[in-house]
This record gives sequence, structure tokens and C-alpha cells, in this order.
Amino acid sequence: MKRAAVVLVCVTLAACAGILGLRDRKRDTTFPHRPHVISGVTCTKCHAGVTKGGAELHLPDDATCTTSGCHTKPHDSRSCTGCHGSPTAVVDLMAAREHLIFDHGKHLGQTSGNCMRCHDAVATGKGPMRPPMATCFRCHDDLEKARRCDGCHKDLVEEGTLPASHLAHDGDWIREHGIRASSSGDLCETCHKQSFCASCHGATAPALPADRRFADPFRATIHRAGFSGRHALEARSDPGACTTCHTPDRCMTCHVAKGVGDMTSGNHNPHPAGWVGLAASDNLHGREARRDPASCASCHGGAGEMLCVKCHAVGGVGGTPHPPGWSSAQPLYSMPCRLCHPVGSR
Amino acid sequence: MIRLACLALVLVTATAHAGPLRLRADALATTASPAGLLVLEADSPTVTSSLANLRAEAVVWIAGSQTPGEDQVGDVLVIAVDARDAKGRARARLGRFVSTLGALRATHVDGGLLRLSLPQRFEVEAVGGVPVMPGLATSRSFDWLAGGRASRRFGFGGSVGVAYAQRRDAGQLATEELGIDAGYAFNRRSDVGARFAYDLANPGIAEIAATGSLRDEETRTEVYVIHRVASHLLPANSLFSVLGDVPSTRGGTLLTWKAAPRLDLIMDLGIRRIADADSGINDVGVEVAGRARLRLDARGTNMLGAELRRGGVGDSAWLGARGTARIKLPHALTLASELELVRPDDARRGSLWPWALVAASWQRGEWSAALATEASASAEYRHRFDVLVQLARTWGMK
Repeated sequence: MKRAAVVLVCVTLAACAGILGLRDRKRDTTFPHRPHVISGVTCTKCHAGVTKGGAELHLPDDATCTTSGCHTKPHDSRSCTGCHGSPTAVVDLMAAREHLIFDHGKHLGQTSGNCMRCHDAVATGKGPMRPPMATCFRCHDDLEKARRCDGCHKDLVEEGTLPASHLAHDGDWIREHGIRASSSGDLCETCHKQSFCASCHGATAPALPADRRFADPFRATIHRAGFSGRHALEARSDPGACTTCHTPDRCMTCHVAKGVGDMTSGNHNPHPAGWVGLAASDNLHGREARRDPASCASCHGGAGEMLCVKCHAVGGVGGTPHPPGWSSAQPLYSMPCRLCHPVGSR
Repeated sequence: MIRLACLALVLVTATAHAGPLRLRADALATTASPAGLLVLEADSPTVTSSLANLRAEAVVWIAGSQTPGEDQVGDVLVIAVDARDAKGRARARLGRFVSTLGALRATHVDGGLLRLSLPQRFEVEAVGGVPVMPGLATSRSFDWLAGGRASRRFGFGGSVGVAYAQRRDAGQLATEELGIDAGYAFNRRSDVGARFAYDLANPGIAEIAATGSLRDEETRTEVYVIHRVASHLLPANSLFSVLGDVPSTRGGTLLTWKAAPRLDLIMDLGIRRIADADSGINDVGVEVAGRARLRLDARGTNMLGAELRRGGVGDSAWLGARGTARIKLPHALTLASELELVRPDDARRGSLWPWALVAASWQRGEWSAALATEASASAEYRHRFDVLVQLARTWGMK
């Protein structure tokens, strides 16, 4: 019984390791470049033809290893690079060839034929051989200063590469993107077209991306899943968040269409008892309006504002709606001041 | 309006580049409103010459039937031409686009943008135009927006800028804001960003937001704070903008951990406070979210996701759970499902709000199609059931 349990645990752990990708990580060994360099093998001995550039990948095959006088007696009949190399190396290299503007031939002159000037991971033996962008910027600092991605990347949208370091779209990027885009809008535009921004921020957006791409539940979009059902809670919990994108008109259009707060068509009053009254205890609306004014504006915007003016105009029973110390640079004859402050009043 | 937009779409995209355009037509039909939607997207590849690079894009949509409460059956979302000199020192945009001036709020405008790079890594940009209103608004008068931003760059990811914008609706001051933005990448592992917007129409802070993050191979830690004042974010010509400051502040930390090559774990721990001494308002709540995402293959074609979230403050607090799945099937089919359960603290709104979606999609070459059913129950609708159908075709895209 114990043995069966141990076997079961082992099988379960092995299955979990497979599902979590831990087995792949173990297999994901980069090619041992460092020992080859130390033993005096030049780069071009294996990567023959790389100096000429062109469309070829210039990766060594098994014949290169066995017929070069080095590994004449392989320890295994399987392909050398099947174990001694990253399983994604070929795919990564093909993608790089397709999406990057780069020619080894033009660079070798600049580096005096020293490949390790750029491929410094050869020395450490760790990490991918493709140099990071920082290596490119050692020479191409003009592209860095101009923040021009198209100097090297043919089309970042088709490439589908997400930022790897700063501006990495990790975590809760929908919340974070506004802060990052404030100072790095030009970098955002290297991948994102106007249609991308307008799909959420556009006043004429017909439907949000979450509605238009409903078949992909992992697409990071705002208002995902049952947002429409809980939007009142979200709006009340984060006053002001809605108006960073929406105008109050947008709320009102929908609320009127659905009969929410549309008193003219005989619908019920959504406010609780004691919402408005002469007694101090009967004035919940004042507190709530100050806490979340956009919520009030979502139904009482436009002509509905006159409802407030009935009581809060100068001399009205509602008194001033301004908090202590409130001030404004607006003249009294401007909107909305003149609604409550008739000419001659203060 | 639609005819004009379609004509403009054809003209702009045809004259900007003689090469192949990227086009996408997207038809969406649902049993909810709008019942039908056709979205046409066109994007020309960048035309490069020795003098300038030119690119054009347009998105127009047509609704099959009117959305209740709205009178338009179609509109233009984007129609813009971008021009940039070959060295990237000057950039201009003309048409309908989203204006984003540093820390100021994004605004959809019909107008133009000019951005110039100056010596010493300084940059200036100016935006002017008419704020976009849905539909064909023929009675609009003296609505405009004008603004600008000056900035200086530091390194590849660093910049600090000051922006100003003023918007008038029917000649009345709607918004007048001053914004300051900053961002800096110390190295590949740590960076910071911040934005600050000040309302000049009704003087006061409109928004402050800051974030800083630190990463290594498998983890990323972000610390953030967001402070918003709703009354200052409303248009200054709204009566509700005179109610004063009741700020909402949220601070917290977000941890992202690649626990295994195919497993990502995300934990968001935050505190929100909506407080104002004058009104006696003091709502404080803990907002927590935990998310897990498991890719069932190396590329993440098959994936499972789970999320548990506690959100809101005071009587608007709620607890929610969400599960997602996407499984690739034979014959280019994909099955996806999403389930959400929300329990509001305030039982008067209902005890449990379930929401579920099951979708099947198919993609082959330039064609894609999807069919889904969506069912929900909430305070909004006692029960609701919708069917969604989508058909899309692309031209000139890989």
C-alpha cells in the first residue's frame, strides 16, 4: 500500500513538473559555447559563412561536429544539437532574421572580427546568445537618443515582441499603462496605432475590445467579464476613475436607454428614503454627491442639473453646496456659476 | 456621415501608399444591443522615402440597428495620417485621433498634432482641434481643445515633461489642466514613473499617480499609489464640479512571480481610502487580488486562469472569483470559457451575481469566426442570456 502511494506521488509530481514546464526548463540548455572557445575553436569554424550575411541561419549541423576533426566518435547516435542546445534556438533565430534589420557582415568590420564584442554571453556560458538591446546601443546611441525602434525592428506589431525591461506589460498593466504612457507615449506608438488607443479612449468607440474579442478570455482588456453587472460598485469604489475615459454623457445615454433614473417615463425613484429633505437627517444626497459626483452626473447631467438649482441657488433652502474654503477662478457669469448666482448676487 | 467617412477612408489609404494595405472587416452580431456591428479597419504600411515616412489608418463602424437611446448608426473611430521626417525629428498627425499630452487626460479630437525634437534632447508638441462627440453634431459651436507639452529625455526610458491643455464646450471653459509627468529606467531591472494633473479651472489637484518596479528573472515587484479627485475630473461647466474635494487614494504593491516556466502568479495588495473631514466621509477598505495563469503548452495556446478578488470600500465592497480556460481543438477550433461569481457585501443588491461565457472560435488563414453564449444574473438584470456571433476577414496581414 505504501509503495503504491509513493508511486502515485511520484507520478503526480512528474505530471505536475511536465504541466508546469519544469521538465522543459531542465532540457533548455544553451549550447556550451564557452568550452569550445577555450579549446581554441573559432566561431566561424562552426558558423561558417556568417561573415557573408544572407538569409541562411549559419548554424552547425551534426556533420560540422563530426567531420571537423573534433567529435569524430559521438557518444550517441541522436542529433548533437537535440541535447546540446536550446530547443528553441532555431525558431528564435528564424524569427530574428524575419523581424530584425541586421547583417553580421556589416558588423564584423566594426568589431574587428571579434564576435564576443557583442555576444558576451559566450564568456559567461549563460543566457541566450542574442545580445540584449543595451549591447546594440553601445554603438547605435543615435537610435537610443531618438528612441527609434524602427532602426532595427522591421515591424514590432508583426514581431509581437513585448517590452522586456522597462514598460514591460506585466502585472496589472491596464492600471499602470496610463502612468507609463504619460512620459513614454512616443515609445508606445512604436507598436500601438491610434486605433488601439481609441478602442477604449475613443468617444465614438462602438464596443469595447472585451466585447469585440469575446472569444479570447485571456486578452487583457478593461471591463472584462461581468463588469456591466458590477459597474455601479466599481464606480462608487473608485470615484473619478470612470471620468478619466468617459464623459458623464456616456453614462446618462445608457441609463436613460435602460430606464434607470428616467423619471419622465414613470420609473421608480432609485434613491432611498431620506435622500432629500429639510431635516439634517434627510440629506443623504449631499454626502453622496460629494463622495461620488460623477455618479450623480451620470443621471442628472445636462438639463437634470436644474434639479439641484431649485434648492441650492443663492437664497435657496438648500444652502451652499460648496465645502468650507472652496474657491474658483471662474467668473460668476460663467457656467455653471450663473445657474445659482444670478447677476448681482454673490 | 458614414458615406463621407468611407470615402475619406478610401481616399486617405489609397493616396498615402500605393502598396498593399492592411485591412480588416469585423462583423459582430449579438442578441443584445447593438444587434449588429460592422467594423472596418485599414492601415497602410509605412511609406519610407529619403524625406519622410508616411502612414495612414482608419477605423469606421456601422451598426446594423440603432442602439437604444443613441441616434447614430455608424461613426468614425479613427481616421488619421501620420507624417514623420526621415530622421525622426519632426512628426505631424492630422485627422481624428486620441490626444495624449503627458499627464493630462486622453481626449478624442478632430484636429492636428505637431511634435518636434529639439537639441539637447528637448521635445515640444502641440495639439489643437475639436473634441469628438458621438454622431454628427451639426449644432456645435465654439468647441475646441488646445494644448502642448514640453519634455526632456534621459537615457532610453527616461523623460520629464510639462503639459497644459484647455478645452471649451460652446465657448464655456470645460477643462483647464496643467500636468507634470516623469519616468526613468535606472537599469533593466528597476524603473519609476509618475504623473500629476492640476485643475486650473477650479484650482485643486485632479490626479496624482506614481509607480516603481523592481524585477529579476522570475519576479517583479511594483509599488504604486493613485490619488484622484472626482470633482476635478468632471468638466468645469458641470454643476457637480463645485462640490469640492473628496479624494480617493489607493496605494499598494503588486507582486508577479513566474513560479514555473508555465505558471505565473500575481498578487495585488492594496488599501483604498475615500475620506473628507468636512463631509464626515471616511471609507477605508482593503483591496486584494490573486491571479494564477497556467500555460498548458510552451506557447500558451492552451491555458487555464483563476482569480480571486476582494474589491471596493464601504457598502460597495464585493468578493469575486473568476476562472478562465482556453483549449485548442482539432480543425483549427478553439474552445474558451469564462466564469465569474461576485458576492456583494450589501445583500440588498443580491446575494450572488454569476456570469458565464462559453465560446468556440475558428481561424484559418485570413478568416476567423466565433460563436458564444453569455449568461448572467446581477442587480442590473435578474437574468440575462445572449448569443454572440463574430466573423472577421483580414487582407494584407500575416
